[in-house]
Order: sequence, then structure tokens, then C-alpha cells
Amino acid sequence: MNLIQAELERLGARRFVQLMLALLVVAFAVTVVTTVAGSRQPTAGEVERARVEVQQQIDTNERWLRECRESREEDPQNFRSRYPVDCDEVFTRTPQIEDYLTGVFVFERQMPGLIYFLITFLALFGFLVGASYIGADLNSGGMTNLLLWRPQRLTVLGTKLGSLLGAVLGLSIVSSVLYLGAFWLVGQARGYPGILDADFWNTILTTTVRGWFLTLMVTALGFAIAVLGRHTAAALGVLAGYAVIWEGGGRIVMEIIDAPRPDVLMLSTYVGAWVLGQLHLSDQNFDCGPSLADFCQPTQYVLSWPAALLVLLVVVGAFVAGAFANFRKRDLV
Amino acid sequence: MSAVIEIHGLRKSFRPLRGAPRVALDGFDMLVEAGQVHGFLGPNGSGKTTTLRTLLGLVQADAGSMRVLGEPAPERLPVVAPRFGAIVESPQFFGNFTGRRTLRLLATAGGVEPARVDEVLERVGLRDRADDRVKGYSLGMKQRLAVASALLKSPELLILDEPANGLDPAGIREMRDLVRDLASSGVTVLVSSHILAEIELICDHVTIISRGRRVTAGTVGEVLAGFDRGEYLVRVDDHDRATGLITAAGHDVVTYPDRLVVSGVTDPAALSRILGEQDLWVRELTPLTPDLESVFLELTGTVPHPGIPQQVDDSVLPQHTATAYDGPVAQIELGSTAEPDDGARPAAIGAGAPATTDEGTKA
Repeated sequence: MNLIQAELERLGARRFVQLMLALLVVAFAVTVVTTVAGSRQPTAGEVERARVEVQQQIDTNERWLRECRESREEDPQNFRSRYPVDCDEVFTRTPQIEDYLTGVFVFERQMPGLIYFLITFLALFGFLVGASYIGADLNSGGMTNLLLWRPQRLTVLGTKLGSLLGAVLGLSIVSSVLYLGAFWLVGQARGYPGILDADFWNTILTTTVRGWFLTLMVTALGFAIAVLGRHTAAALGVLAGYAVIWEGGGRIVMEIIDAPRPDVLMLSTYVGAWVLGQLHLSDQNFDCGPSLADFCQPTQYVLSWPAALLVLLVVVGAFVAGAFANFRKRDLV
Repeated sequence: MSAVIEIHGLRKSFRPLRGAPRVALDGFDMLVEAGQVHGFLGPNGSGKTTTLRTLLGLVQADAGSMRVLGEPAPERLPVVAPRFGAIVESPQFFGNFTGRRTLRLLATAGGVEPARVDEVLERVGLRDRADDRVKGYSLGMKQRLAVASALLKSPELLILDEPANGLDPAGIREMRDLVRDLASSGVTVLVSSHILAEIELICDHVTIISRGRRVTAGTVGEVLAGFDRGEYLVRVDDHDRATGLITAAGHDVVTYPDRLVVSGVTDPAALSRILGEQDLWVRELTPLTPDLESVFLELTGTVPHPGIPQQVDDSVLPQHTATAYDGPVAQIELGSTAEPDDGARPAAIGAGAPATTDEGTKA
């Protein structure tokens, strides 16, 4: 308990952490201020006009749907020339008032997208702080000093990682609440809230929790790479190298050689699938119909979040296990 | 007295990515008993810091056994850690933390009362600079902070690696007084240092290491006695006559313009009588006892010579003794030097050893 307390205090006292925290706040503030600047409170007249337009659009849609169904029943031969195969496929959602409010921030519509900003900020913060926290400790001799006091390497390293993850999770939760709260206020005071039903909140909560988990994994990854490389720069180098060489160069090479599913070899794919819930991807093998006149469609496949999570956990787990195994045996000279 | 530190047959090699492994410790033995102020000496790269780091669990030994405060190390170090304090080589701290915060964090991690932080800051003379950032500290102040961190736990055993590094003369004296105070209060101190005069002043026992092997160990007196050649400085009015008389009495004499150095003297009164009987009255008769620096340089084969740069691996490679380590008795275990000694390097034993610019003539 004493060690955890000391580690949390050490983490909070680090200037790099304070700087990153300040940058995180600035990034959030810029996002909120930009949104506020680009939005305005709709007048009662605008809302009423939008309500009328919604009603008109609903009437138009219903009329079109009715005609579609009648045409299918009365004249099946010519039906497909004017209407799609399935009449119900066309209008999948009911028009809303916010569809007709221009220049207005609609909380319900824009928040799901803004959550991805939050996740990106938090993940970047976690990676940099995770790498720097242990990297500076190893580099400055702080770890050696600590081990003279607590000669239990795995306990010390585990406590550092645990304290770091706990602190990052706490910060993620607090900042997510503030972030959501700030935009909710913008929606209330200088925009339009939209329909905030259970589905909306469920989507927001699920995505946010996934973002927290991603942040923790990325934090642990930064920490582990810095332990293996004995320096903060090692983590940054590996990240930059991976992004440029593999995600960039590797993808190009795989496209040139027509690798069937290059996306499954990229970690970014699994990150996307985890955060979004699932990802629809295209295979390089084309599925052509029996006739030459048929279109050749790329084969579609879906990557679901459980598979993505498993891959991410294996990668992060391998790095963390490697870091602990290496640190247990390493000579601290 | 009980053993506080026991090291037997310690071996450690570092394996670089390319090239042959470098042997840092080659069957090293050491024994430090309770209440000792034990000096740990050796040339650069001889294995001192590796020994201490291995003892403290920072480096993994290839072979050998170690005990600290009666417990096997490094396995039981967590049990005895609250009872010893240590600083290893140059002190390193977060530059942006203040001295007080640095110590407070360590105290928190080690379960030490926060009040102890102020006590040790006062003790090492950092009270007034405790709230300055460490990056603004001089090397000497960082050294004091490191010592303060080692003292936080009120240790029974204090391990100090080069504690006088970077200290000014006043700081060195304070460090000496501090070590003496701690020793007088019952703390066992193991101190490695290059400042041999300091070691001689504060330590009662020494272990000398060269190229990863123990050269000698024992009380300072015993180690020095091993190099006492019964040398005396003699001043008389007629050096030539005196040289003849002393040589005739069976002693070796080296003649200098202003003095004679006589060796092999067991009874200085007899020397005085030989000269007095021939009306040569002795104006000065001073024993030339070896100092630790001279002994160290000879034992480790690191005596500097003008125009011959000393290389770090040029020190003596001691022979392994056939018997196991048998306690703090002076043992001179010299072996070969790294390079064949062509005899051109004279030993420099004795406080009054002839200066290289003031060569005497052996009779």
C-alpha cells in the first residue's frame, strides 16, 4: 500500500505527466470551443419550421412507400424499373427535427463521433505517459534507488504498472464524464440535444468503456516497450517504426503482391474493430457471378470485437510478459 | 563478532552483444563483521561496484554465495532490506523533484516515518536546501542526498560506494565524521573509495580487489604490516662513513644527498649504537611505515610511472588461493600482472619512499 501511494505521488509529481495532462485539457478545450464557435442556439421559429418540414418529409415518404407497394402488387413486370426490390429498404429511419437545423450542434448526432476524439486523446496520453513514466525511472536511476529499498523486482514493476493503469483509468473516467458533460451542456445551451433515449446512451457508454479499455492496453504497451528498450524513446521509436514501416509500407507491399487480406495483419484493424464493435472489410478475392454480365464484388468479411479484443490482448500480453521476464533477470548496471 | 556481509567465490561475467565476455568478478571473497568500518578498495574496473550491485540484488551473479545480515542474498534481501542502507556509485535522482520530496517518496515506499526525512536532511547538511530541485544541486549535494536516503532507515549496515565523490574538502571531512559517528553508534559500514587517505583514516578493516579477485583483506594495520620492511630514515653528518658502517652491519642502505634510507632494521637502537660508537651522531632516526596508498598501488600493480600511461586492465591479476576464505586476516595473494613486468616499475612503499626525481644510490 505504501508503495502504491508513493508511486501515485511520483506519477503525479512528474512534470511530463503534468505537461501531458495540460495538453489533454487543452485538446479537450479546443474541441469544445470549436464546437461552441460553430454552433448556435436554434430559435423557436427555426425549430417550428423544422418540425413542419419533418412532417412534410414523413408524408412524402409514406406516399412513396404506398406507391411502391401498390406498384409491386399491380404491375410486377415494370416494378423494378421505378422502385427497388424491397420497398421497406429505402426509408430505414424517420426524419428528425435536427435534420433540418443547419449550423446547430446536435448532441445526439455528433457525440458518437466526438467520443472517438476522446478515445484517441486518452490512448495517446496513456501511451506517452506509460512509456515516459517507466523510461525515466530506468534512465534516471530512480528504479535502482527504489530497488535498494524494496529489493523485489516483480513487485516493484508490477506496482508501477498497476498504479499507472489505475491512475490512467481514473483520469479516463473523470475526463470522459467532463467531456460528455461539456458537450451535453453545449447541446443544451448552444445547440440541440436531440433524442437522448436508452439506445443513444447505451451506444455512448459502450463506446466509451471500450475506449477506456483500449487506453489501458495502449498504456501497458507503452510501459512494456519502454521497459524492454530501457528508455522512453524506445517506445516512441517502436510506435513510429511500426506505423511507418508496417502499417504504411507493409500495406503498400501487400497490395502490390495482392495479399488476400492485408487488413488482418494490421493492428489498426483490430483497434478499429474493438472500438467500433465490428468492422466490415473487403477481401482481395472478387466474387463474380456465373454470367459475364454480372458485377464482380469484392468478398466481404466481418471482424467482430471479441476477435479484435483477443488479438489486442495477445499482443499487449506478450509485450508485458516479455517486459516482466526481461526485467526479472536484467542486470541493472 | 558476527558476519554482516559474507561473499564466497562470487563470479560475474558481462556478455556484450559482440565480442568475448568480460569477467568482472572471478571468485571474489569478502567478509565484513559487525561493528567494522570496512574499506573496499580497487582500481577502476576492478569489480568493486559490480560486487556491491551483486550483493544488493541489482546484478545477477553467475556463481558464488552471499549473505547479508545473516540472510542469503539476493533471495532474502527483501527481509533484511529495512536493516541496511546503500548508495551505489553516482547518485541519480529525478531532477525536478526537491530533495525533501525525493526522500519523502522513498520513506513512503519503505514505510519509514516522515519525520525521519527532516532528521537525515539535517544530518547531511541539506536542511536549508531541502526544498530546492535536485537538478540545481551540485554533485556533492547529490552525494549528500544519496547518503541521506541511505540513512533514512536507521540502518544497522551502511553500504557506501564512493561517498566522497564530488565533495569539497569540508564535505569530505563531514563525511568522515559522519561515518565515524555511525560506527561509534554500532552501525557497520562498508565503504568503497578511491581516496585512500580517507579510507586509512576512517576504516579499521580493508579488502582490496583487483581484476575481480581479492588481493588482500584484514585490518588496516595487518595489511600495512605486510609491507613494513623495517625502513628507517637516517640523517648524520658524514653519509659516506655511515653508509659503510651500516652496510658492514648487514643492512641495505640507499643514499640520498641529504639522508640515508636503511632497510631491514629490527632494532633502531642498535643502528644508533653502531654509528655512535664511531662518533657519528644521529640527527634524525625516523621509521618509514608504509601508507595504504603505497600498499594499494603495489598490491594492484597500478603504480604510475612518468611517460607510461596506466591502462585500466593493467592491474594485477591475483592468484586464487587454494583454501577457502578464512576470515579477516591479511593475505597477500599477488599473482601475475596483466602484462609481463619487465622490472622497470619500482615499488613505492613507505611514506618516505624516494621520489622519482630524487633518486638515491643503493650501497
